[in-house]
Amino acid sequence: MTLKGGTGQACAACKYQRRRCASDCPLAPFFPADQPKMFQNAHKLFGVSNILKILKQLDPSQKVIAMKSIKYQANMRDKYPVYGCLVEIQQLYYQIQMAEEELHATLNQLAYYRQRHQQQEISSANESLSRLQLGMAPPGNAMTIINQDNPPQYDAVTALPITYSNNDNPCYNTEYLEAKENNVVDSLWIQQPYSNGNNSMAMQSQLSNSQHLSVQQERAQDYDEIYPFFDTIDDRQSYMDSKEVYESSSESSLKDTRQSVDQIAENELKSAAACFSLTSVN
Amino acid sequence: MNQMASSSYSNPPCAACKFLRRKCLPSCTFAAYFPPEEPTKFANVHKIFGASNVSKLLNEIPPNQREDAVNSLAYEAEARLKDPVYGCVGAISVLQRQVLHLQKELDATNADLMLYANNDVSHSHPVQSNSTFSRTNAQYNGGESNPGLLHPYASPWNNDSSNDSKSM
Repeated sequence: MTLKGGTGQACAACKYQRRRCASDCPLAPFFPADQPKMFQNAHKLFGVSNILKILKQLDPSQKVIAMKSIKYQANMRDKYPVYGCLVEIQQLYYQIQMAEEELHATLNQLAYYRQRHQQQEISSANESLSRLQLGMAPPGNAMTIINQDNPPQYDAVTALPITYSNNDNPCYNTEYLEAKENNVVDSLWIQQPYSNGNNSMAMQSQLSNSQHLSVQQERAQDYDEIYPFFDTIDDRQSYMDSKEVYESSSESSLKDTRQSVDQIAENELKSAAACFSLTSVN
Repeated sequence: MNQMASSSYSNPPCAACKFLRRKCLPSCTFAAYFPPEEPTKFANVHKIFGASNVSKLLNEIPPNQREDAVNSLAYEAEARLKDPVYGCVGAISVLQRQVLHLQKELDATNADLMLYANNDVSHSHPVQSNSTFSRTNAQYNGGESNPGLLHPYASPWNNDSSNDSKSM
């Protein structure tokens, strides 16, 4: 019967191994006795010795985080024996792609409405000017109306650098995680033992590229910057930086278009004023 | 003809048997997934998970999915070696933050869109936010379902949080 030193119960690790749980048991803080399944998962994937090897090289503060990630990884592998954590990663890539597409479409829509709004402002300005001219002199052939046949083309949005997939992320092989493999996602969710051959083959061919996945994670000097979702710490710095880059680029491109539209309006007003001065002589 | 060692006439040993310095039998479970040209792959997997654990895991998986399983293990092992603290979970964290960031961008853009919709003179084209990436996605850590997605997914970590949240 495994007993912890004193009257405490043996930890799940020592209980599983049927040994005495010493007071300085390294795994006791991480595997309480009432959660045997968690240790079983971790033991099944890593093994006690490998876990201890990982913990050995870490500081006490890092050990806590490492154990959380180890337990998470083990639980994911228990739930998804074939793909483990890659299920989560693929799902997130899919979400990112969907969000990027939606953001792009929304920005296009926003640009369209901004353009229309500006054109309306210009047309209303011209209308008031033309009313003035009608009041002072008969309208001449030289009266210019804004040529609205060719509204300024707004292509800046398409040039917006939506670089989330290439910025601030580990350089995973996105080919492996394209959303077109929705049928693959189906197979992941269902995890049929003998799933559709096409799905598994598609995933198989994709995963063969995973060998070349270059895991370039943000290895921050202090791990507070990459604190996983365990404690939902809101680290704003990294994505605030990328947000600034994104916002500045989008703002500059929209500003350019706005300036060109303003310039056109100004030119039209000037020509209208010139006609006014000419016709008023007669 | 002299009968040389069987390994000379058989296929070269797989990366696993080469690493473990053992004879690579025709029935070797690793041979199909750890070719000799990729010694690092097995070395990483063995270092993090151990060959026996991998062997046991593979035996529980159908043969047609074992290659995928090995590749995912290789990926996780490499991630853990590069980042002993977070492993592949670090990547998940980064991606989740990207998702949140995008969600905030979407919300801001939709808010701007609504402004133009409200100020639209003609009102002939009512603006409708076709956001399928709903705000609930921002609550990813809460494990809520995402109606905007085709496959609502609750993070197993959050499902287990009730068992694990108090353990630390």
